Amino acid sequence: MEIIEKIKTNKLFDNQTEIQKICLHKLQSSPLPNPKSELWRLSNKSKFSKFLNYSVNQKNPKFDIPYPESSQNTIRFIIGENCQTKLIKENYSIQQLSEDELNKYIKEQIACFDQNENWSDLLNLSLSSTKNFLALKINGSKIPPIEIFSHGSSNSLNAKTLVIFLEKNCDIELLQVNLGKENSSLSQSTFFLLEENSSINHGVVSYGENRSNLLNSLNVIQQQNSEYNLGSLHFKFNYARFEISIKQSSGNAKTNIKGMQITKKDEQISTYTKINFNGPNGFLDQINKSLADDESHAIFEGSIIVPKIAQKTDASQLSRNLLLSNHAQIDTKPQLEIIADDVKCKHGATISQLNEEELFYMRTRGITLLEASKLQLSSYFQEIISFIPVSKDRWDLLEKLLNEN
Amino acid sequence: MVNENLVKDVVKEPYKYGFVTDIETEKIAKGLNEDIIRLISQKKEEPKYLLDFRLKAFKKWQKMDEPDWAGLGYKQIDYQDIIYYSAPKQKEKISSLDEVDPKLLETFDKLGIPLTEQKKLTNVAVDAVFDSVSIATTFREELAEHGVIFCSISEAVKNHSELIEKYLGTVVPASDNYFAALNSAVFSDGSFVYIPKGVTCPMDLSSYFRINSGDSGQFERTLIIAEESSSVSYLEGCTAPMFDTNTLHAAVVELIALDDASIKYSTVQNWYAGDEEGVGGIFNFVTKRGKCLGKRSKISWSQVETGSSITWKYPSCLLLGEESVGEFYSVALTNNLQQADTGTKMIHIGPKTKSTIVSKGISAGNSINSYRGLVKMGTKAAGSRNYSQCDSMLIGDQASANTFPYINSQQPNSEIEHEASTCRISEDQLFYLQSRGIEFEEAVSMMVSGFCRDVFNQLPMEFAAEADKLLALKLEGSVG
Repeated sequence: MEIIEKIKTNKLFDNQTEIQKICLHKLQSSPLPNPKSELWRLSNKSKFSKFLNYSVNQKNPKFDIPYPESSQNTIRFIIGENCQTKLIKENYSIQQLSEDELNKYIKEQIACFDQNENWSDLLNLSLSSTKNFLALKINGSKIPPIEIFSHGSSNSLNAKTLVIFLEKNCDIELLQVNLGKENSSLSQSTFFLLEENSSINHGVVSYGENRSNLLNSLNVIQQQNSEYNLGSLHFKFNYARFEISIKQSSGNAKTNIKGMQITKKDEQISTYTKINFNGPNGFLDQINKSLADDESHAIFEGSIIVPKIAQKTDASQLSRNLLLSNHAQIDTKPQLEIIADDVKCKHGATISQLNEEELFYMRTRGITLLEASKLQLSSYFQEIISFIPVSKDRWDLLEKLLNEN
Repeated sequence: MVNENLVKDVVKEPYKYGFVTDIETEKIAKGLNEDIIRLISQKKEEPKYLLDFRLKAFKKWQKMDEPDWAGLGYKQIDYQDIIYYSAPKQKEKISSLDEVDPKLLETFDKLGIPLTEQKKLTNVAVDAVFDSVSIATTFREELAEHGVIFCSISEAVKNHSELIEKYLGTVVPASDNYFAALNSAVFSDGSFVYIPKGVTCPMDLSSYFRINSGDSGQFERTLIIAEESSSVSYLEGCTAPMFDTNTLHAAVVELIALDDASIKYSTVQNWYAGDEEGVGGIFNFVTKRGKCLGKRSKISWSQVETGSSITWKYPSCLLLGEESVGEFYSVALTNNLQQADTGTKMIHIGPKTKSTIVSKGISAGNSINSYRGLVKMGTKAAGSRNYSQCDSMLIGDQASANTFPYINSQQPNSEIEHEASTCRISEDQLFYLQSRGIEFEEAVSMMVSGFCRDVFNQLPMEFAAEADKLLALKLEGSVG
């Protein structure tokens, strides 16, 4: 109940929005997620309680973009700083969603929420004020790449929400960067609605500083013939959860997901994905990679749900994990729940360390062990990084990762 | 397109083991309390340590909650409405098979179980369990020559008490889970096998479980101990009559393999599965676990699960000894309204341990077939490996197939590989077979048999043939 009290007693919440009220009311019936449920049982309880320990903050400190501005034409948003927008160009328009549209959509979402599965969203929506809400409606063509930044401030709990409606036949590239500040908690919820024939290349890069925490939740609804490509990377968080829920609302849609989480020291980063096929001819190709070193813990749980209506679904899910230390731990649980009979579904999981034969080969060619390990790691990382829509000259993620490791 | 109606209409083979043997039985009153447990223990003339074991388990059971994580939908079981001891009345002591009630012999004869002399040629020693008690064990003298002990667990309690006291409950502790605790409190009979050091058991051992009474549960307990450098192959079969009530079967199987020992445990489970509307059938809630205690020891589970209205069963291996090996080969077939939640747990504790999991699930009708497995690499399991493969086949658009593999590794110097796939009977293959003049039904049956081949190859000869036939029979009328 503490968290609810904290929200209620916060002066900044005197004028709550309708959504905040609904979510707070829902949270009251289960103030904390059930620690025995599949989605929360592996979550480190003390780390989670530290996440909630910071005082709620709605102020946003000055934000420094982590990489140089590109010469290329990009559109930038920093949630909390410039959420009021209206960009109407010849080919495209990016506008704020009207309050009615936003309320209607979010309420529909909340109606389908499960207390445990969407606990992070409920928390986010009950904390996130209008100021920290970026809700956009995008349509048109030849839209320049969009970058959206979200960040917390030290010694506080911040909540940021992003809602994007991608209208029919629209095609965008969107990079979302979540930055955790030292000793902070960030709650980020993202909602995407992809209308017919739309497509998005979505990148999520989240990294923190010392003792930062993150609850990152992503909800995507895909209408017919839409394509959703996600490349994600999470690292350097003391505690982070990335919860992905994708619903192909009437089938005939394509989803590609390539995600990676890297844990060191005593960090715990987990990824939960739930892909729901609600119509025929759905397609999914998913790969999730984890790397756990030192005394850290990496978790992946992915579920694919194929009801009877989703005939001719073609789904595959692969979980690849590298365990590099005697004290680190990896848990992975790819799962399939299938009722439709005319489907092709498969999943795979592997846990191992760096390939010794490959290392040996490289060493016989005069490459040092350190370099050889770096080479192997870079090929391991590269598959994911190349899927994140950010060009190398703007921000060399691989270099950043290899230097961190 | 496959003609669904044609396929659904293919013979609906009735459950041929569904008859009831009309025999006078001795039953105790329904219900479960300390007095009932004392009564069971007294009837079996058990030593005090065993009664204490039962009572302790009962106390633990009372404090436990029935597990619901598997999401199996079944009516709540009234544990006070079950008879915990039911035995056919017979003479006190039987010195030869001739003294066994002919009706009982006839029952097992009907089931195709070789208890009588002429059938002994098959060279499989059988322990036949009818409701709560063991009726007969064949080939005992021959086995005794090799030092092999094969008898009912009640006899073992009397004659080999030291072994029972040493090993009972060491693999599956009484408080392990709800149904194991219940079994520990009320277990009635089961088989006991002891293979001495260096002995390769000269023949396959087999136990056959038969539930005859509709209102009694079956709670058998099997304990197999393989001493250093010994090996044994053990087969288990089960059937029950057709009743429109649900009968509870909560067994516990414990295997212990010491240095260089090997145990192969095969099951063909064909309990009554209920009718097409899902009325009746056995609730099969079983705890099976093996402990590879010794170096280079090996435990191999192979199972063909076709019966029971609900199956909840995860034969597991605790791999403690260095270089020990665990294997799990399973075919689970569900039809109509059956539910099966089965899989395995491979817990790698010792270094250089290996495990292999091959699971094939076939779901037809409105059934739910889930694979649920755990592979765990402990911190000391350096150089260990696991390979798992779970394939599901869906027949008809109402059936459901789920895969829930839990994988946990705490040891970087180990490898885990898991793969799973879900498909249906390929129309191309079916068309090909049909174009070669093979009847539709036969083609389906061939393809199912091919799908399960990896597992059938692991079954002992007699079982493999039986399993193949069983699957074909069970599937008839459901392919679509």
